[in-house]
Amino acid sequence: MLQRFLKPSVLAAISGLELVAKTVVDGFVAGLHRSPDFGFSQEFAEYQAYTPGDDLRHVDWNVFARTERMYLKRYRGETNSPLTILLDASNSMQFTSHGVSKMDYARYLSASLFYLALHGQRDAAGLITFDDEIRNYVRPSTRQGQLHRLLAALEQAEARARTNFAKPARYFQEFLKRRGIVLIVSDFWESPESVVATLEPLRLNGNEVVLFHVLDPEDVRPSLDGPSILVDLETNEQLETTPDFAKKEYRSKVDAHIADLRDRAQAAGLGYCLLITDRPLDDALREYLTLRGGRN
Amino acid sequence: MGLFSPWFLAALAGLGLPLYLHLLKRQTARPKQVSSLMLYESRTQASTRHRKLRYFLLLSLRLAVLLLLIVAFANPFVNRNAATFTSNRLVLVIVDNSFSMRAAARLADAKQAALGVLAGKGAARGQVAAFGSQLQFLTQAIEDQAALRAAVESIQPGDGHGNFGELARAVRALAPSVHTPIELHLFSDMQRSALAGNFSDMALPANVQFIPHAVATRPEPNWTVEAVDAPGQVWGKDARPVHVRAVIAGFHTPAAQRIASLVVNGKATATKPVAVPANGRAAVDFPALEVPYGFNRCEVKIDSADAFPADDQHHFAVERSDPQKALLVHNYGDSRSPLYIGAALSAAAQSAFLLESINANEAADRTPSNYAFIILSDLNTVPALLENSLASYVRAGGSLFIAAGTSAGARLQIPIFGARIAETRDYSRIPDRFMTVGSSDSSFPAVAKAEGWPGVKFFYALAVDPGDARVIVRLSDQTPVLLEKRIGEGRVVLFTSGLDNLTNDFPLNPAFVPFIEQTARYLSGSQRQGGARVVDAYLELRNAREQGQGVEVTGPEGKRPLTLKEAASAQSIQLTEAGYYQLRLANGRQNLVGVNPDPKESNLDVIPADVMALWQGKSNSGTQEASAPGAPPPRTTPESLWWYVMLFVFAAAIAESVLASRYLGTQREES
Repeated sequence: MLQRFLKPSVLAAISGLELVAKTVVDGFVAGLHRSPDFGFSQEFAEYQAYTPGDDLRHVDWNVFARTERMYLKRYRGETNSPLTILLDASNSMQFTSHGVSKMDYARYLSASLFYLALHGQRDAAGLITFDDEIRNYVRPSTRQGQLHRLLAALEQAEARARTNFAKPARYFQEFLKRRGIVLIVSDFWESPESVVATLEPLRLNGNEVVLFHVLDPEDVRPSLDGPSILVDLETNEQLETTPDFAKKEYRSKVDAHIADLRDRAQAAGLGYCLLITDRPLDDALREYLTLRGGRN
Repeated sequence: MGLFSPWFLAALAGLGLPLYLHLLKRQTARPKQVSSLMLYESRTQASTRHRKLRYFLLLSLRLAVLLLLIVAFANPFVNRNAATFTSNRLVLVIVDNSFSMRAAARLADAKQAALGVLAGKGAARGQVAAFGSQLQFLTQAIEDQAALRAAVESIQPGDGHGNFGELARAVRALAPSVHTPIELHLFSDMQRSALAGNFSDMALPANVQFIPHAVATRPEPNWTVEAVDAPGQVWGKDARPVHVRAVIAGFHTPAAQRIASLVVNGKATATKPVAVPANGRAAVDFPALEVPYGFNRCEVKIDSADAFPADDQHHFAVERSDPQKALLVHNYGDSRSPLYIGAALSAAAQSAFLLESINANEAADRTPSNYAFIILSDLNTVPALLENSLASYVRAGGSLFIAAGTSAGARLQIPIFGARIAETRDYSRIPDRFMTVGSSDSSFPAVAKAEGWPGVKFFYALAVDPGDARVIVRLSDQTPVLLEKRIGEGRVVLFTSGLDNLTNDFPLNPAFVPFIEQTARYLSGSQRQGGARVVDAYLELRNAREQGQGVEVTGPEGKRPLTLKEAASAQSIQLTEAGYYQLRLANGRQNLVGVNPDPKESNLDVIPADVMALWQGKSNSGTQEASAPGAPPPRTTPESLWWYVMLFVFAAAIAESVLASRYLGTQREES
């Protein structure tokens, strides 16, 4: 029954991101039946025999004391991995064809993840909103009221200007000194090559990076009644095209664009999750957590 | 090629409108927002280019529709040779049946020639008309040869006087309703006397080709009884003998002696030879016309010696009756009025009236209908009984003469006559001490015969409001002094002064006797009795339209020309045949009139060739040359192209609708 409340159009009618997040996560948890893959924390995974050159800090000295053998203790991750969401607040995110804009969908998604991290895992959570500049930054924290600060920041995030990953990316390093989980929520209307090239350094710093590719159904399957003049929401450029092009060539091009981004991201060790805004949010969360489980 | 209404071409400026709209409406796509144009490419749909081309075709069609509409309104025409569409003409055959066509075999010749033209008309439509005093159409415009021939055969000789001006007027009225050229064939004796007074009255419309067919080419000698002067009435058995004078005229005749006869009721009562000079006139007198009591059909005849015997007699009617009684009602003690009026009536040439003079007190027991007319002279009071009986008498057709005198000055209005009295005018107080006649209506016989009352001095008169009465005589200060009014079937004549030689000196004036005599004749109706009239003259049947009493008219052939409805309501009748008309009028009086053809018809002179050519619109070709049937001379006639242009407009409008619905319909994306 709760599934129907997780439709984006239903969530859009709920005022307050906290309530949205609680609705999504509670409904989602109720449907998981205590999944073993639940949680963000990095847990013990296995012991590995010490070989010279390994970091002595990872040696389990208790085992050594009992057995006099040196084993390295392997973890699935840090116990307190901070979650940071990089939210694209460019103009293209406000596009909508059915009542829920990509920006709204990204807000719901982010709020749900924050709720899950702070209340479920008691992990730190932070937020960076950007377009062609860094617009807002909420430091990852587990302090009291962090969720409210994050949700307030989400509320204030207005879509404006245009996306430019290259410019704000160099600042990401300053804010993300501590390794953790970095989720980038955007419609990624840039060349997959530059997107991956810009974001790959984050992963190289030890972060787990996942790209949430949020698209409107019209972005994927546009429909035109006749020859039309199209206006770019970010640049205001105009271009005349035909229904025939939108129906055939464009669809193949956007499919190729999505596949290229996914392939390049995966090749660079980045997680990739395609979210169409008419898709229920719990599906999106499930896909993401499944993705993480598979990676660990 | 030309345009009947070229000013409509100004609407060509409107052609700019579709051009402007098509230029404006070429791009109709609305902008649509998308997230990014990164993956879009510019495309101009191939079909868009085609649609522009089709738009151009549509624009051309729309321009063509507008252009053709404007041209249609400008009404283009081409000049076409009339001979190329002779089958599209109307052959109008007009046969003259005026009185002069009775001469010799003129009418038969005309009908024969008309039948010849009808036989050679081919497939053209024909219409037959007879022309006497008026143009009378006998058929519609039809192609039925048999019907047209029958119509020509049915034309009978008439007694009217032809007038080519009337003919041209009727053709001018017909021409606008006939959209094809008219070939007018006139079969006539081309009598000179039938020419209109003004030649422009005989002009024919442009689409009428006039082809005269003359059945007489030269004037023929003809004698006729041109006029007869005879009284319409004689009174009493001891009346003086009645003198009849007839004028015998000869047209294009040599000097000859003719025998003139006076015929009364079919019996010749007198015969006299008369020497008629060459091409001249001679008068013949019959000193004693003896007629029995009642109406008598009289005529003066001459022996027939020419080809036109129908005009050798002249009809007139004479009524012999006892002298009529007239009543004079005057004030008690007034002896002047009976004296002057009685003397005047007895001094008239024929003592037609017996005047009975009484004072007002004696009038109550008199029956007004026993008198031909009644005179009220200067009455102080009119007893109500008398006034009522007089009013009924007048409405039923009686006549009244009222001399207001000085006694009426105390009244507000004239009894029976009904005129309001404005004031009394005593001219003895003005410097000249009298007033003379200022203006008079000479069409009134009593005034015309008295030559307008010259020298009559008026010392006193009433100024009355004439209302709807006819003012016959006015004094110099515009005071009406003699008025006439018709009440019901009767007449009332009002004299606003007196007949007693006190308020004026009229009774002593020489104009008084003819005035009294003619007034008596006018009031008694004897002026309208008997006598002779001319064919086509109108005879009055009743005075007031509201009178429902029927009249009876019996024509020369013994037929009744009026229907029952006309007999109950017609105010007059046109005398269309020569002979005797017997009438019983609405006021109950009997009448008999002799009707004669117009004397002009007896002059058989023909229209000169140059005048005929001028009428035809030609300068020097003879009448006979033009009379060859079925071969109209070549001439051009403008033919309107309006109908053809409208067909093109219709076709272009349909093509435009098809193209517009095909190219401008909503485009749907294939699913």
